[in-house]
Amino acid sequence: MNTILSARGVSKRFAGHQGGGGVLALDAISLEVREGEFLCLLGASGCGKSTLLNMFAGFVAPSGGEIRLRDEAITGIDPRCGMVFQSYALFPWKTVRENVAFGPKMKGIGRGERRDIAERFLAMVGLSGFAGHYPVELSGGMQQRVTLARCLAANPEVMLMDEPFAALDAMTREVLQGELMRIQAQSGKTIVFVTHNIDEALVMADRIVVMSPRPGRIAAVIDNDLPRPRHIEAQSLPAYAALKRQVWNLIAGDLMAHAA
Amino acid sequence: MSTPATSDLVLPAAASPGERPKWRWPRLGRPVLLLNLLGIFSLYGLWALATESGFVSPLFFPSPSMVAAEAQSIAGTADLWMSIAASSRRVFIGFGLATLVAVPLGILMGAWWPAKAVIDPLISLLRPLPSITWIPLTMLWLGIGEGQKIAIVFMGSWIYILLYTVESTKRVDPLLVKAARNLGAGNLAVMREVVLPGSLPGILAGLKVSLAIAWSCVLSAEMVAAQTGLGALIWSAKDWGNMPLVLVGMVCISATVLIADLLANRLEAWLLPWERHRRPN
Repeated sequence: MNTILSARGVSKRFAGHQGGGGVLALDAISLEVREGEFLCLLGASGCGKSTLLNMFAGFVAPSGGEIRLRDEAITGIDPRCGMVFQSYALFPWKTVRENVAFGPKMKGIGRGERRDIAERFLAMVGLSGFAGHYPVELSGGMQQRVTLARCLAANPEVMLMDEPFAALDAMTREVLQGELMRIQAQSGKTIVFVTHNIDEALVMADRIVVMSPRPGRIAAVIDNDLPRPRHIEAQSLPAYAALKRQVWNLIAGDLMAHAA
Repeated sequence: MSTPATSDLVLPAAASPGERPKWRWPRLGRPVLLLNLLGIFSLYGLWALATESGFVSPLFFPSPSMVAAEAQSIAGTADLWMSIAASSRRVFIGFGLATLVAVPLGILMGAWWPAKAVIDPLISLLRPLPSITWIPLTMLWLGIGEGQKIAIVFMGSWIYILLYTVESTKRVDPLLVKAARNLGAGNLAVMREVVLPGSLPGILAGLKVSLAIAWSCVLSAEMVAAQTGLGALIWSAKDWGNMPLVLVGMVCISATVLIADLLANRLEAWLLPWERHRRPN
């Protein structure tokens, strides 16, 4: 498969408070994201997974190395890498429809066509009846569906998702995981998904990039060949348990260190 | 999976759209309105008791019945209504001009730091000056006509509008700006689609505060030099020793500013439809 997005020897140092050496958040990360895959960045707090994702989006500039999208360096915020934020980041003054139609509007697409696009993606996330509502009227799970539809409607080449379901309750999260996998299967979008939840990574990812903290490094890249669909039955298979143990062993030390 | 029908993509709806929160009576069970009325009537009762009983001389503080009689006699003439109209017109123009100048300038200062750096020291110098300190200069420049009253209103309110606008522009959630840029918005689109609507609630709140300040400005300007307006009415009533009329003027000021505030609230609700759901009070 073709590489769509890559990090080449990327490092990031955040400045210290008193002009000290600062914190090395990422240390010479190299990673290739394949076209159409579902890639999870997994790791304990402080492993730099969100920083790496923010670099893919162009929100944060690397201190060293470079990010390339389709073999062009990314130097600023790039709409081809669409971001789904954990805290939704919906525009509160826009209706659900206007939020979803924002990307098309920025592309100069006319009002009528924008409306059609918004309706189509709202239907895809199961929110057809809510186009005229304001985000504040919706539950957290529904707001995250709107964010997903907004990102899809802007038609990015890569969807970047920063722990998008972390703020939701466990049951809503499971429903949305299933929906995201179906949407990805249908749309063929490349997704880079940050999580600290091992099960979430095992259920959704084609490949899991396990990261370790201080400084952020890639500990292992694991191919997840578990058969799809990975419903609740699949999670009781011995292969699932074996893979989970393998991932757990990679990050257990980091988690203990963080908890201590 | 080759070219799936769109219906394959449709997911079960999250919930039916009929589940909007029902409208409720404001804080049923808390007799707020009753207590409001109690406050007003006890003040009125105290006033009536003190003056009508002769405990306080009517020369010192006129009784409610004297004020009512005066109000009745002046409400029949054009004087009172002309005064209210004259003051309102000055506030409307002066405050309108201040808004037109201060809101765009404030957004520019909030969004672009060099503008703020240039204008900040200027504001620090001007802000401590009450609007009445501008009366001598404005009279020298503009005489004692309408222009001078409007200038006082302008000088008294534009800085507050500016400060509120700068603050609300700076408080727009940077995450929303990031999200807009990530969806392809350029500088102009970020301004129009995010910064402006994001700061509008704060700007409108500032305008409401400044509107009350604008009213106090016009009244002080009218007391110093004017033939018309509520301030002039009160001042000439004082010169004639007509204390009931002074009180009628004061009540009229309260009523007019209250009505202006109510209108401003309606305008706010109309301009900020998304805020209605946030504050269901």
